[in-house]
Formats: sequence, structure tokens, C-alpha cells
Amino acid sequence: MSDAVLKLDNVSVEIGGRRLVENVSFNVARGELVALIGPNGSGKTTLLRAILGEYRYSGRIDVAMRVGYVPQRLAYDRTLPMTVLEFMALTTQRLPLAFGVTRRARARGLELLARVGARKLAHSALGGLSGGELQRVLLASSLERDPELLLLDEPAAGVDIEGEKTFLDLIKTEVKDRGCAVVLVSHDLSVVSDITDRVLCLNRTLMCEGKAEDLLTAETIARVFGGGHAVYDHHRAGPHGKHDHDHGGHRH
Amino acid sequence: MLGYFNPASWQFGILLGVVCVSLSSGVLSPLVVSNRMSFFSEAVAHSTLAGVALGLIMGFDPLLTMIGVGVIVALLIAALRQRSPLALDTLLGVAMAGALAVGVILFQWKVRNYADMDAYLFGRITFLTRDDVIILALVGAAAIAVLAMMWNRLALLSVSRPLAQSRGLNVGRYDLLLIVLLAVVVCVTVRVVGLLLVNALLVIPAAASKNLARSYRSMVWGSLAVAVVSGLAGLFVGDYLKLPVGPAIVVAAVILFAASQIIGLRRGRVMAEN
Repeated sequence: MSDAVLKLDNVSVEIGGRRLVENVSFNVARGELVALIGPNGSGKTTLLRAILGEYRYSGRIDVAMRVGYVPQRLAYDRTLPMTVLEFMALTTQRLPLAFGVTRRARARGLELLARVGARKLAHSALGGLSGGELQRVLLASSLERDPELLLLDEPAAGVDIEGEKTFLDLIKTEVKDRGCAVVLVSHDLSVVSDITDRVLCLNRTLMCEGKAEDLLTAETIARVFGGGHAVYDHHRAGPHGKHDHDHGGHRH
Repeated sequence: MLGYFNPASWQFGILLGVVCVSLSSGVLSPLVVSNRMSFFSEAVAHSTLAGVALGLIMGFDPLLTMIGVGVIVALLIAALRQRSPLALDTLLGVAMAGALAVGVILFQWKVRNYADMDAYLFGRITFLTRDDVIILALVGAAAIAVLAMMWNRLALLSVSRPLAQSRGLNVGRYDLLLIVLLAVVVCVTVRVVGLLLVNALLVIPAAASKNLARSYRSMVWGSLAVAVVSGLAGLFVGDYLKLPVGPAIVVAAVILFAASQIIGLRRGRVMAEN
């Protein structure tokens, strides 16, 4: 893998007879933060899941040994009585959870939660967390194996703009600055533009690639997302990230 | 009643059978509920009648053919779930009705022993032989041992499949393991409560425990407690009131579930008010 922790060569994914991703090739270097952007249904999540090995693909994917993953959302039974610490212990201890959390798993879980500022959530019910809290817990859990590559699938979906920004700052300080490469899926380039090294635009196939400031133009946005979309800068939004929709543009 | 505690009596075997079934279903129940597999176990249970009829027709031990057919039906459903564009509950609806219909036809056509069919539909615990009890004990012990080894990985699977995949879990292999284990436990449990009621023993214990538990650990132990208490209560009360034991066990479990639901709702209301 040399310096790259992720190499995709001509990757295509077909599900149920539909080709959702077509001939995608790119590399991600150690310590690099890459944003993968594109409209809904453009194949971003499908590509991420192919990298994780969940979907079959054609082409070649070389991926680092230790990969962390933060899903877009947890489609699980929210009434399941599981504490955050128990959830963290699922991957850090061999003793069946029925016998409780071991001292070692507890210490490791608390350490990881503290890293993402979520130590106080340790004894909360997983199903009772807000969107932002859950994302922090999932991030803490994804750091458990000290990953070389972290895959984040719209990590701040359902979180307000301020919460999203705080979360992305956390990714920068606690993940990227520690040498871990990050692939961040988003449909919102303006939010991730501050922290990315490189942006990949996906709409079934790779449409463009480059630095955020070069790609954040009306022409590129129209090419990737289609017509009817405009550039909107969240930094000029009102207090607490509230939108002023008078300009008539969409978030992108 | 005292006969149940005399190791030399035939009733002692029945007590052991009920305890084995309660332990294996009580342990498996949290995984069935959290992996949303209750319809799945129902479909496997419905297929067991065809397995029994095949065994009787071909002269094999019905338990073996029942497990064979149960596992095949479970694997078929799992394969269809991967490939078919239809929703899982639709596929299971087809499998349940189809398997039960084939079982009834085979019984009517070749077996013609309706007492046997009745015993498999509603369970007849007094038919349990010494060999049945040994099989129940072996299957129960094997199920608990396998689950103990894989528990945390199976629980992670129930939280999120992509998350489990990212942690290096072979999701397909663990799915298969859980499906086969579930099919085997369903097949041996059918002898006690019958195929129409077996699913209750795999769903109610964890559902009742979930209403009150505040952690995963307490849900598992609560599930085990509900399964064992309803098993013993159904056996003793059913025997005392001359009721069929299988349905009595299920009614006891439903009563415990109702109590947990009421307590859970009241507790939720108090917490919301505070």
C-alpha cells in the first residue's frame, strides 16, 4: 500500500441489476482528509460499503488493515436497553456482555469517550441519545482499534449546523491530526470545505477532484448536483446556524 | 406434584425437559428480539410439521427430519432475503403458509395419525421420552455454549450490520450461525409447546425483560428468569388444573409480559413527569 491507506482502481458496484457506482478510481494517503460529496442517491454510501466489504464490486480495492467506520445512522431498535459503555464493550471484550463490562473494557471505553468529549454519556441508554451525542459515541467506538483509515458516512446528518461544525472540528483534532486518514461522505461541501485536503465529487462516477476552494463554484456544483442548486455559505448564516432562505438557493 | 422432584419418576424427565427448553429459549430470546428474527422462527416452526411427516413416511426419526427441514427452510429464507426484491415479512408469509400446508397434506395423505399431528401442533409434553429429554439437554447446552462464545459479536450485529462489518466480522457467517442455531432450538422446543406456540417462548422472555431492563446485561438475565419462571409455572399450574402444559407455559409467559408492560409504562410516565 506504500503511503496510501486506500486505493480504488476502476471500482464498480451493481445491486439488483442497477449499476450504482461506475469505474471509480482514487487513492487516499496516510493522514489525508478527503471529502466525498455528491447528491442523494449518487452512490456515496454504496461505495463506502463496498470499501467495507459489505457489497460485491468489480475492480480492485486495497484498504488498510485497521479501518474505523461511523455509519450515517444506526437502524437499530432504540428501545434495546443497552448502555453506551456496554455498546463500547461489544468490541473490546470477549466475556459475554451478559456477565457485565470487564474492568479493562470499562477503562478503554471511558478513555475513548473522553477523547470525543462524551465521558458523561457512559451510563446513558444508547437509544436515548440525541443525534449529536450518538455520533460522538460512534466516533469514540470507531477509534477503538486505533484506525489507519476512518470512514465517516454523513456523520453529522440530522445534527444542526453548529453541532456539525463542532463534530468536524473533533474529527480534525482527534483523528486527522493524529495521523489517521479520513474519508468523509457529505452532501454539503460548504460545511466540510474548511477541514478537507481534497474533495472528490461522485455522481455514480467520479465527476471531479481537487481542493475545496477550487471546486466550490456554481459551475462545478451544477455539474455534480444538477441544475437548480446554488452555492450557500453557512458561515454567513444567522445565529446558531439558522438559514436565511430568502436567496432562494439550496444547501450545497 | 411431588413426582416431579423424584429422579426415579417419569415426571422428573418432564421437569428436566421444561427446564432445558426454558434455558435455551431464554438465552436465545434477546438475540431473536434484537435481530428482529421472530417471524423467522415462526416460519421455521411452521415447517417442522412437514419434517415430522417426512420422517414418519420414510421411517426415519422425526426429530432428525424435522431439524433437517427446519434448517433447509431457514437457509432458503435467508438466501431469498439476500436476492429477492420483496420485503422479508412477505417472504416469511409465503414460507409459513406454504410449509404448514405441505405438512398438513403429507399427514393426511400418508401418515393419517391425527393424534401425532395434534401433538406437534399444540405440544404434548407427556409424550416426551427419555431420549427426547437427553436431546433437549444436549441441544440446550450446545446452544448456550455457542452463544456464550459468540455473544458480543452477535449483539453487535443486531446494533448495526455495517458497523459489525467494519470491525472485521464476517456478517454472512454469523447470520448463518444464528439462523441454524435458531432452527435447531425451534425444532426441539416444538415437542414441548407445539409449533403454533413455540415462537412465544422465543419472543416473550426478552420482550418482557426489555420492558424493565436498563442495561443489556439485565435484559439477558431477565429473559432467562421469565423463561424459567413461566416454564415451571406452566408445568405445575397446568398439571394441577389439568390444563395442557404447552399452552399453560405460554399463558404464564404472557402474564409476566403484561405485568412488565404495565410496570414499564408506569415507570415511563413517572420519569416523564419528573
